[in-house]
Amino acid sequence: MTRILPLIFIIFFSSTLFAQEKGVFSGAFETNANVFLRDSSIHANNTPQYDHQFFGGEAWLNLNYKIQGFTIGTRFDMFHNSNLRNPTGSYSGTGIGRWYLKKQINKLEISAGYLYDQIGSGFIFRAFETRPLFIDNALYGASMKYNFSDTWHLMGFVGKQKNAFDTYSGNLKGIRAEGFINLGSEESPITFAPGIGLVNKTISDDYMSGVKDVLRSYQAEDRFTPSFNTFASTIYNTLNYKSLSLYTEVALKSKDVFYNPFAEKTELVGSTTGKLVSQSGSVLYGSLSFAQGKWGVTAEVKRTENFSFRVDPNLTLLRGLINYLTPLNRQNTYRLTARYSPAAQDISEIAYALDLRYKFNKALSANVNISNINTLAGDTLFQEVFTEVIYKHKRKWQLTSGVQFLTYNQEIYETKAEVPLVKAVTPYLDFLYKFTPTEALRLELQYMNTKQDFGSWIFGLAEFSIAPRWNFEMSGMYNNKPKKPNSKGELEKILYPTLGIVFFNESQRYSLRYVKQVEGVVCSGGICRLEPAFSGVRFSMNTTF
Amino acid sequence: MKNISIILLLSFIFLYSCEEIMQPIADPEIPVTDRVVLLEELTGASCPNCPKGTAAVEAILQKFPGKVAAIGIHGEFLAKPIPGKSKYDFRNKKAADLENWFQPWLGKPAASVNRVDLNNPDQKYATVSTGQWQANVEKELNKPHQLSILMDLKFDATSRVLDIDFTAIPLVDLDGNYNFTIYLTESKIMDAQTNGNVIIDEFEHNHVLREILTKFDGDVLGTDLKKNVLIKKKYSYTLPSTPEGLWKPENMDVVIAIHHSSTTDRSVVQAAYEHVIK
Repeated sequence: MTRILPLIFIIFFSSTLFAQEKGVFSGAFETNANVFLRDSSIHANNTPQYDHQFFGGEAWLNLNYKIQGFTIGTRFDMFHNSNLRNPTGSYSGTGIGRWYLKKQINKLEISAGYLYDQIGSGFIFRAFETRPLFIDNALYGASMKYNFSDTWHLMGFVGKQKNAFDTYSGNLKGIRAEGFINLGSEESPITFAPGIGLVNKTISDDYMSGVKDVLRSYQAEDRFTPSFNTFASTIYNTLNYKSLSLYTEVALKSKDVFYNPFAEKTELVGSTTGKLVSQSGSVLYGSLSFAQGKWGVTAEVKRTENFSFRVDPNLTLLRGLINYLTPLNRQNTYRLTARYSPAAQDISEIAYALDLRYKFNKALSANVNISNINTLAGDTLFQEVFTEVIYKHKRKWQLTSGVQFLTYNQEIYETKAEVPLVKAVTPYLDFLYKFTPTEALRLELQYMNTKQDFGSWIFGLAEFSIAPRWNFEMSGMYNNKPKKPNSKGELEKILYPTLGIVFFNESQRYSLRYVKQVEGVVCSGGICRLEPAFSGVRFSMNTTF
Repeated sequence: MKNISIILLLSFIFLYSCEEIMQPIADPEIPVTDRVVLLEELTGASCPNCPKGTAAVEAILQKFPGKVAAIGIHGEFLAKPIPGKSKYDFRNKKAADLENWFQPWLGKPAASVNRVDLNNPDQKYATVSTGQWQANVEKELNKPHQLSILMDLKFDATSRVLDIDFTAIPLVDLDGNYNFTIYLTESKIMDAQTNGNVIIDEFEHNHVLREILTKFDGDVLGTDLKKNVLIKKKYSYTLPSTPEGLWKPENMDVVIAIHHSSTTDRSVVQAAYEHVIK
């Protein structure tokens, strides 16, 4: 990757020297630094960071420059004893994590390098970055976009998926056409924003060899002849009429080799579950939104069947994902209401969600959100009823309160054996009081009442802010009715405290926290992964310029 | 708009109409060799996916009889006994040390074949892809046979003392530093095992690592081994008599592995195994 850089800089400097107009520089910097303090009582131990490294962190520096229709950019990535890639391991790597070059030539836009883009909702292709999960699925290749008009374009791309400082082998190719049509009048427009896309994945010889190695170990009845190529297509549209909005998308995938953790595999004696299969798949999605006066309603439905789509079928967990399946449940932010969050299932899922909002007056508003997710066979995966009432008293104080009723299938989401569905009721309270225009206190109180998993929890937080510079926070998560024994086999009521300071300086944000965080096991695709407890000090900083 | 529709339609027709020449899946080859490879599996009684690993190991042992020495390492991760179900606790300090020594790995079950570096930052020696284990064994069996291990076991049933004599015979000059590790494994232990979302009360646990007689990462064998220059080692161990139901000599094996001992190369040159009672 570093060999390409001189070329970028030649283009960059020559364009700077000869340009009539001045270019625009922009950038961003983000860093995390962790000091690991071993605490075997909460199982914050037995990783290289706790055993002998004691320090780990990451940093990303983005630089972008725009001039005369050119946009060039690069990103420096650094991982030092990082636990992001593998929470039980230590990863170090430094280098250019991204570079790209874009040029607008009349109606044509060409791009090369490490590119982020998606087709539709991302069901068949999404090249994106999520740093906390070490996901950087940029496409390393080239793309071409032709704008036929202000409303219609055609885009095509070819490349490989990024894998840390390398790429996965195997090729991805795709096209997308999107447009906009107005069939109504100016006073009463009826608009359509249709789109269509196609992606082709070709497995590399190397990956195919790995697939064959696996299939050779199967009994005759489970073997099949794998194909190198898979095609996925999607068609989607957003219809808008007055305050009504309807988004629909249908995605199909041709026969593809993927790992099905629920498929029965024949063994020499008996059978186990989980094997490579070759099957076609589909995703159907619809979202209807309506806002009228004091009301706002959003209803969603999604059906997913056999839509695991990876660059190499032997990859697991979050590796090599070509697409992204949107979860339909509410994305909660409070600590305890977000504790049991379902991952979108790519093999078998039918999900419904309904969101209702009502504004009584300027001071009072309410929200009810209902989610229901099952397997296609009808097994319960996740159910949630979430209520929220917000009361604003002038500009002096604000109270947000509600309750969450939740059912969560740990057997499926975490592959835990013979555990009952987690059923939890979590009332919560969020109170914000402004002493002065610059000084405010925010208090959070949550109680999760459950007889399953770890048992019941209490969470409390106090955050004092002095705008525009300072935030001081203190929180604690307390397992008041523990159900899981600790390392000594005892039911211990453990407190997981956090103390933090946040400092803002214009666009810079610095935070320093002492954290103790509860551990958990996460399983996906038939593989279990430990998300270990954390004990230590975390510093993070980010800025844009 | 019309142009786009035509381009898209042609693209779809063109791409979907491509037909591949399919390649058949061949059966595994069983090489003629005196090599014996070491298969170290990271497993655990509370690991929901580990019965898949067990099945994969048994299939490999059947496919390559006498060519694979298997070890089931019940370290720390998902290795706790199942509350109210398990009779035994297979964990021990050296198993935990060995499990951590294999870091990084992605999860369980995972297995290392001859401790070959996989050149993968997520899983350096042990891969979670159970289907890949057999191919890795095949690859190792196809490498040249460079060293032989002759093992002689004597077990006194009264004192429960096990004497282990072994001789390492380099068949070529071998540069570098070498260690050896002696493992004691036990099979046919019937106990609880998590399997997906159920618990099997009477699961047959085989090749369970019960003890390592050397340091967990091996004792020193020698440096720059010369062809046909024999190296002899002798160890003795008294099998515990408790807990009841474990340490049954008739179900136990001794496994010896000779391996590189540098920080960058831990690969196994040769393994050998013998039943404690023949």
